[in-house]
Amino acid sequence: MKRAETWLVSILLVVSTLGATAQGAFAYTGHVWSNSDAFKATCLGFNDTYPQAMYSLAQSQLALLGYLPYGALGASFTKSAFLNNVFYDYAVYAHTHGDNYWAASGSPNVDSGILQDPGVGKCNSSSRDMIRSSSIKAATMGTLYNLVVMSTCKLGASNSTMPGAFQIEKTKSSTERKFYLGYTYLTYDSSAYRFERAFWSYLNGDPNHTRTVYQAFMYAQSIGGYASPDSANPFQPNWWGNPNYNGTPG
Amino acid sequence: MQSRKSISATRSLLAAAAIVLGLAISSGSLTAASSQVSVGPDQVGVDAARVVGPVQNEVVITTDDHPQVFVGADKARDGFGFPVGVKKVGRHIHDAFENSDYDEVSEVASNGQPLALTQFDGSGRLTTAVRFDATPSLAVRITGDAATKTAQRGLAASGLTAIGQPRTDSNSVDGGWDVHWARAVEGFTVRGDETRVHLWANGRIQTVARVEHQLATTPARRLSQPDARNVVTKQLDQWSGKGGVRYTVTDMNLEWVGPNAAFDASKLNAAPAPYRLSWVVNVKPTGEAADYIRLITLYVDAGSGTVIGGDVVE
Repeated sequence: MKRAETWLVSILLVVSTLGATAQGAFAYTGHVWSNSDAFKATCLGFNDTYPQAMYSLAQSQLALLGYLPYGALGASFTKSAFLNNVFYDYAVYAHTHGDNYWAASGSPNVDSGILQDPGVGKCNSSSRDMIRSSSIKAATMGTLYNLVVMSTCKLGASNSTMPGAFQIEKTKSSTERKFYLGYTYLTYDSSAYRFERAFWSYLNGDPNHTRTVYQAFMYAQSIGGYASPDSANPFQPNWWGNPNYNGTPG
Repeated sequence: MQSRKSISATRSLLAAAAIVLGLAISSGSLTAASSQVSVGPDQVGVDAARVVGPVQNEVVITTDDHPQVFVGADKARDGFGFPVGVKKVGRHIHDAFENSDYDEVSEVASNGQPLALTQFDGSGRLTTAVRFDATPSLAVRITGDAATKTAQRGLAASGLTAIGQPRTDSNSVDGGWDVHWARAVEGFTVRGDETRVHLWANGRIQTVARVEHQLATTPARRLSQPDARNVVTKQLDQWSGKGGVRYTVTDMNLEWVGPNAAFDASKLNAAPAPYRLSWVVNVKPTGEAADYIRLITLYVDAGSGTVIGGDVVE
């Protein structure tokens, strides 16, 4: 009798859980990841405030676009969490260190990567913390992504393999509902933050989503005022995808 | 398209199943067969707060109530050679992202899409202009000199002046040109302030930006470079004591900079302050942090000798 009661309770729990989560489960998820522990006082001597600011901004703006935002600021941004969740995503945002590293096969082949959060009290080690574009591509299993923003250095460069990890070809004339945004060179956090604020403000400036992501990109680029580390690294965001896509999920 | 739909449906179903399974396991109503089962969307930190963010507030303006804005918009549009829409839409915008107010006029196509827009600050000065149509093919590419002259002509036709010698750079993303006048006051660069014209490779102007921040008064007594270096050395020693990281100063220059919250979270919601003449000091970390931090920049107020902000290249 006790066993039957236990099963009945279990079934009811599953059914009620299904009902309660159905709406969320069938929503279009978007993960926002931000590495913060590598930029805290234990590593740098001060607490860098940009990881939190970037994370909060992206979370709120993806929600306005219609995505159900998940993700992590800090220690829960792990390689396994990223790779285990990416298949389900329609949008992905990452703010961390990124670069176009040599592939395992060696130069000149590139396998771009980003660094996971190293965990509380730890600093990044590229050998330990790297999430390679090849690993991401394998985890996506060929699924399509609407909006991918790599808020890092260099992953908007022409040799970046990160767009391909999300099945986004490096063309500016796609007709599918997809858009990739990244920065070409070394980029100050303040400049990325200024750009992303302008980008989101224009994109979500019309609640009916009549504006395109390309327009938002061009608007953000047009406002100027971006500091850059040196003349070899001008502030230069880049995009690939569909110029007529409005950024909404699905 | 069909395959995309089926992939989407499959992905959503798998996500649903993963969530239900994960919740069922966590509620104790089912037992996982193995520790590898619980894959699925990570729900860490889901809360209502994440959908609260900055928004723009807009009020429609018309030629009747703001004629000067529309006259300025037409002049800029024609000066830059921007397309003419079937109608114009004017707005006064409070931008909560930048904590600023501006007037904006969009040229709108027959399909309702904006073709171009211009923005003006509270004193009616143009701050931003952009055309949204697609980049044309690269069949024709003008020279850098021609790009500079075109930019100068466009600014002049729009009633804008740019002082000094511009720098013209090839744009690696679209093959066009960026013509840039840095703003300098009393001989010192104002960090980020500029007049910038971006041209497509064929010589048409695509964007114009004019950024000009308010400046504080010049300090009566200016911190010397050795004194500024001492301030930075003390700051770096303090950081090294906390983090075990070592920093090396690579270069330092006087510039006008905006105080910010880069190193001090208590200043995150502070109102924008006038730019201050400061020593801008670039430092590079050594050791573990050098693996992923390219550059840290500190702003040392040339009057007070305090660190008022900075920047990070991750």
